[in-house]
Amino acid sequence: MEAIRISVNKQMDGYTFSIAPSIRQLIKSWFPNSYPANNIFVAYDTKSDFEHYYGKLESYIYPALLGVDNQSDLNKKVDEIQFIDTQTGKVLHSHKVTA
Amino acid sequence: MKKNYHLYLGKAEHLTVMSEFLTRGWNVAIPEVDIGDDIFVVQDDNGTLRRVQVKTSTSTARHNSFSGQFNVPLTQLKNMANIPVHYVFVVRHNDQWTPPVVIRQDYLLDHLYNDNIGSEHDGNLNLYFSYSTDKVECSGLDLTKYVSDFTDFPLIEE
Repeated sequence: MEAIRISVNKQMDGYTFSIAPSIRQLIKSWFPNSYPANNIFVAYDTKSDFEHYYGKLESYIYPALLGVDNQSDLNKKVDEIQFIDTQTGKVLHSHKVTA
Repeated sequence: MKKNYHLYLGKAEHLTVMSEFLTRGWNVAIPEVDIGDDIFVVQDDNGTLRRVQVKTSTSTARHNSFSGQFNVPLTQLKNMANIPVHYVFVVRHNDQWTPPVVIRQDYLLDHLYNDNIGSEHDGNLNLYFSYSTDKVECSGLDLTKYVSDFTDFPLIEE
């Protein structure tokens, strides 16, 4: 089981969530039909609106970023998704995946 | 050599790289305020923007090869925005430019974290590129696949 690291970069107008090319390659090798994205940008107001209605944004970001259709397949390979601040290296959010 | 020659060399290479993008059908602009990006490269018909940072070095001769040294600020490298920076590395060797090594920011960052490319010093990532007849290497990592890699800047003819 692996931990997937998602980089989070805080910008003037929002967050950019991204995964490294090596992670994209790994996801592709596990799931050839997956479509991992380079990055997803979310403006601060969009994030706060979203979280007001639906809860923590990160739980919705990683499936879109990793581009894996079948969540249960992903859960067999990954046990944790970590959201890392690119500037400080700190873990901002950790999502435990249950198989 | 002329005082501040590196400034002339750097600008010359900026213009050379800009000319390459123009040849490929992409428009170019130099930002009025210098906040890190050297060149904005734009696809005119749809506004697709790419950010480019040009890194220039003079060469140091070695046995059967030569090398070039580059510094990349780590804060810039780790600042992954929604439009990543494309780094273009070029060395002036024997009165000629080497073919550009084009590495997108996320790939360079990946090489830093996974392959320990370069060395970190004083807030910069120091990179020593070694050029031999058919290979470009840095920290033992083969970078030849990035030579003239304009994948993200396809030729626009129409």
